[in-house]
Amino acid sequence: MEHTYQYAWIVPFLPLTVTMSTGFGLLLIPTATKKIRRIWVFPSVLLLSIVVSFSVNLSIQQIHGSSIYQYLWSWTINHDFSLEFGYLIDPLSSIMSILITTVGIMVLIYSDNYMSHDQGYLRFFSYTSFFNASMLGLVTSSNLIQIYIFWELVGMCSYLLIGFWFTRPTAASACQKAFVTNRVGDFGLLLGILGFYWITGSFEFRDLFEITNNLIHNNGVSSLFATLCASLLFIGAVAKSAQFPLHVWLPDAMEGPTPISALIHAATMVAAGIFLVARLLPIFIAIPYIMNLISLIGVITVLLGATLALAQRDIKRSLAYSTMSQLGYIMLALGIGSYRAALFHLITHAYSKALLFLGSGSIIHSMEPIVGYSPDKSQNMVLMGGLKRYVPITRTTFLLGTLSICGIPPLACFWSKDEILNDSWLYSPIFAIIACFTAGLTAFYMLRVYLLTFDGHLRVHFQNYSSTKNSSSYSISLWGKGVPKAVNRNLLLSTINNKVFFFSKDMYKIDNNLKKYIRYFNISFEKKYTSMYPHEVDNTMLFPLLILVLFTLFVGSIGIHFYQGVIDLDILSKWLTPSTNLFHPNSSYSVDWYEFFTNAIFSVSIAISGLFIAYILYGSAYSVFQNLDFLNSFVKGGPKRIILDQIQNGIYNWSYNRGYIDIFYTKVFTMGIRGLTELTQFFDRYIIDGITNGVGIASFLIGEGIKSMGGGRISSYLFFYLFYTSIFLFIFLFFYNL
Amino acid sequence: MTSYFPWLTILVVLPIFVGSSIFFLPHKGNKIFRWYTLCICLLELLLTTYVFCYHFQLDDPLIQLEEDLKWIDIFDFHWRLGIDGLSIGPILLTGFITTLATLAAWPITRNSRLFYFLMLAMYSGQIGLFSSRDLLLFFMMWELELIPVYLLLSMWGGRKRLYSATKFILYTAGGSIFLLIGVLGMGLYGPNEPTLDFSKLANQSYPAALEIILYFGFLIAYAVKSPIIPLHTWLPDTHGEAHYSTCMLLAGILLKMGAYGLIRINMELLPHAHSIFSPWLVIVGTLQIIYAASTSLGQRNLKKRIAYSSVSHMGFTIIGIGSITGMGLNGAILQILSHGFIGAALFFLAGTSCDRIRLVYLDEMGGVSIPMPKLFTMFSSFSMASLALPGMSGFVAELLVFFGIITSPKYLLMQKMLITFVMAIGMILTPIYLLSMLRQMFYGYKLFNVPNSNFADSGPRELFVSICIFLPVIGIGIYPDFVLSLSVDRVQAILSNYFHR
Repeated sequence: MEHTYQYAWIVPFLPLTVTMSTGFGLLLIPTATKKIRRIWVFPSVLLLSIVVSFSVNLSIQQIHGSSIYQYLWSWTINHDFSLEFGYLIDPLSSIMSILITTVGIMVLIYSDNYMSHDQGYLRFFSYTSFFNASMLGLVTSSNLIQIYIFWELVGMCSYLLIGFWFTRPTAASACQKAFVTNRVGDFGLLLGILGFYWITGSFEFRDLFEITNNLIHNNGVSSLFATLCASLLFIGAVAKSAQFPLHVWLPDAMEGPTPISALIHAATMVAAGIFLVARLLPIFIAIPYIMNLISLIGVITVLLGATLALAQRDIKRSLAYSTMSQLGYIMLALGIGSYRAALFHLITHAYSKALLFLGSGSIIHSMEPIVGYSPDKSQNMVLMGGLKRYVPITRTTFLLGTLSICGIPPLACFWSKDEILNDSWLYSPIFAIIACFTAGLTAFYMLRVYLLTFDGHLRVHFQNYSSTKNSSSYSISLWGKGVPKAVNRNLLLSTINNKVFFFSKDMYKIDNNLKKYIRYFNISFEKKYTSMYPHEVDNTMLFPLLILVLFTLFVGSIGIHFYQGVIDLDILSKWLTPSTNLFHPNSSYSVDWYEFFTNAIFSVSIAISGLFIAYILYGSAYSVFQNLDFLNSFVKGGPKRIILDQIQNGIYNWSYNRGYIDIFYTKVFTMGIRGLTELTQFFDRYIIDGITNGVGIASFLIGEGIKSMGGGRISSYLFFYLFYTSIFLFIFLFFYNL
Repeated sequence: MTSYFPWLTILVVLPIFVGSSIFFLPHKGNKIFRWYTLCICLLELLLTTYVFCYHFQLDDPLIQLEEDLKWIDIFDFHWRLGIDGLSIGPILLTGFITTLATLAAWPITRNSRLFYFLMLAMYSGQIGLFSSRDLLLFFMMWELELIPVYLLLSMWGGRKRLYSATKFILYTAGGSIFLLIGVLGMGLYGPNEPTLDFSKLANQSYPAALEIILYFGFLIAYAVKSPIIPLHTWLPDTHGEAHYSTCMLLAGILLKMGAYGLIRINMELLPHAHSIFSPWLVIVGTLQIIYAASTSLGQRNLKKRIAYSSVSHMGFTIIGIGSITGMGLNGAILQILSHGFIGAALFFLAGTSCDRIRLVYLDEMGGVSIPMPKLFTMFSSFSMASLALPGMSGFVAELLVFFGIITSPKYLLMQKMLITFVMAIGMILTPIYLLSMLRQMFYGYKLFNVPNSNFADSGPRELFVSICIFLPVIGIGIYPDFVLSLSVDRVQAILSNYFHR
């Protein structure tokens, strides 16, 4: 039993080996490596499955009430300072590692097929393995410095993976935006770590908790400074988990390949921020105001994410906003102190959202041959519709995922969301009302996505729809395989893809004349989909979907309370017991069945009403084009209708423009930094360098002047001599007379 | 014992003397010069490693391998060499980077004899500087360095090479005047006969005003070299115009001489003045990080952008030196080494890619990642290293500097918070300029209308150079004790001055 703990350090290192071998293979012997590319994938899946078994084993031991295990090596030793590296296995890290590895392995299997025609197939797998490695390192790390290290590595992986298709200009700016936004979070995290180091003199979690609590009880540290440091730490979590002020990177991150959206931007990386807050919850609880801040940020994000998701056209983007909103729920739960509900929702949401993203990936995969490879088309829900006829299995899985996110009873997310809503009533009614309202919104937009995608008729062939032509701002597919017909416009930023371009005023202008594309690669597709209708994807892609459906169906059961039977099925509580003992001394949790049912009925009714409204608006009987007519018939009377239209327009504009937040950031921060840059550059070039050059030029001029004067003519020397003598005489006489 | 054999003298004079025989080699193409130079560099590097492995005790903070030969008796000028934990790192860095720079300089065909000779002369000068124990010898080595750089710049540079070479020589020579003033002032002060020995000078004490004047003189010289903000404008011009192998030497080693001198002379010999000046150093360093980072963002020229980034990174060194803590100083030394590797590699990669694309302005580039994937990979890796990604050397160095500031007893809480905060803002600006550089160069898609648009990717030689630099970067990042163990004891010894007096 101790053996597994001793060898637990292997967990983050196993996936790393794949990355390193693939990386060196690609760098040194590219052709040979690319030839056997399918073989390279096998070890990555194999090693990850070993890690899965490891983490399952660890978790089972944790459930059976094993203690927290920590092992340390010294990293740097100085005279006055030592850093230690190690790993910490406790319930939180075992939950997280199971989550990461299971979702990771599903994504790996899925992307074997999804990426199989891609030039960067191996690169993809090495990045993904590296991501798994660093995420596992993050969750098993034993001190704050280690967390920071892996935190940044995770950020870098997300940078690489978002910019995976680096020929797309939007992907290029999206990955930069993600990295810089995350770096803002890292900035806060680092300052927070340094602040707590200054307060406590330690990075170790346990010391940190004890010393901080002691100091705060004895007023050993000013609570203002502690609050400042804690909120700086929280900024890190805000950036990584895409909470309100720093959420802007998440929707743009959908430029990456879809499996990555499932892995990073739904299930694992965004969970890093949650993990950090959960890990440091003992500190946060001890410090006043910070919990209020966390729950406030959580509730703002909940509402914002849901409203922004209302009218997205891009399927992945609306899922991304839904992720953001759900993460807001988790953050809210942490902020109101219900640790268990937060983790529970983290788990259930991760599986459901991974399912949804993989499902959307399979939709995109089947749409791509028909509409082209530009993400503006293949991910555009406007062009989809009626897919349930063509992709039945994907449709079923997607529906289950949708219902799970909506919170319909037997599915996973219901249990956890219900718990969060329940706890929020106890904390603050306002937050609870917002949370419940958002639950309805969630149901609305999720079903909207589902209906637009699968219901009605396939809308690809409605060529007159404006979006098909207008938004084809770039038409280059992944690796330079051109779609020649669409190069008819310069790159104009439409309102939909309003990116924050850092310092690129002239982006990759595609000239009108150049209709010929240089094709660097000739990707010959083995299967040429020539038909006009989408097809169901391959079994390799369906298999992970089905597994995730199983998870979505049954993972909720680990947190359900069955108290009247002999069997106590509430695994999650048992799992978390050591940690609850360590962190929160008393959490005897008992649920009244009656109370549970009333709450459940309430939340389910909210969800169902959301579903119902979505069905009325987007249901199969009424296609999008009849939408307004239908509304007209529905709402009678002039002024009311106008008001309703205005509200609707307002919501749609808000959602299209991403709540105007991106525009605001572009205007303020990007322009601000540009202004600063121009200022410093001006200063550098014309003042600092100007002085230098000025001295040079002045000395040159003086030299030339002296040269021209000292030309060797006696008469001029005499002239100057007499001239200066007369001036001196004049001055002397003048002052003497005074 | 070891001290009887003049190891250090051999190390110092070997490159320049053996290198001068390059002029007697038969003129049968450039290949022979290349290999000859490379062999000398390798021999020197191996010799250095051998000496440091077998004749140097790491746990001894005193000066080792000392040599002392009388040169000019009147004012006590000796050929006095010796190394300690502080100088061993820069010497190894010099050997490593110079060897790789000669390997990187293979494409140079015009007058390659002279080129390689100058590189070897620089090699000698640098090792001499880092190992000298005599103030005047230090100054001579400092000056010896300038001539090869001037020639390398003015003969093999870019379009504006004469302008930048003149600027370089004027700036550094101007700085050297102050260095000379300082050297003479320090050497000639004192009741007894003049002394230029470091170990004797370390025990000397000066009147406060004189110490401050001397300190300031040295500081100006080092501020030019290091560079510290208002005296930095030679650097972008020089780096923008020089050939990339010269840039590797400039960024990798030459800039480090300033920081080394700051520790070696200002910290060790003038501790009082240093503790007076250190808050200013910290402030200047902090401003420099922000200022150079935001200036770098506005540069269109690729090489200038990297040059400003190295100015920004040297800010961490200055802060580390100014913090007067063990951790800060160790961090500064680590940053010297780490930036030596990273800066050299970035200039190398930038130079090779500029030569391929035949463009230097970032906004004209774009989309070259597909024809040059290896270059893209290496460039991204080093940019990540430069923006202090954990696991690479820059991170450890910057982290140590941060800790140095936090734990420094010299500053108050508010000051520390402010300094740390501004430094951390630099942490946000760094990825912006590096990543936007990457994006403008590599990302995206561009249709080249130049006829031969199929660029060659990095060849094995270039790949070898960049991987060679990458390995120590990763190595230091993963296990920084490799380097820290060299300097820890010496740093402790230096800092003990500050607590004894």
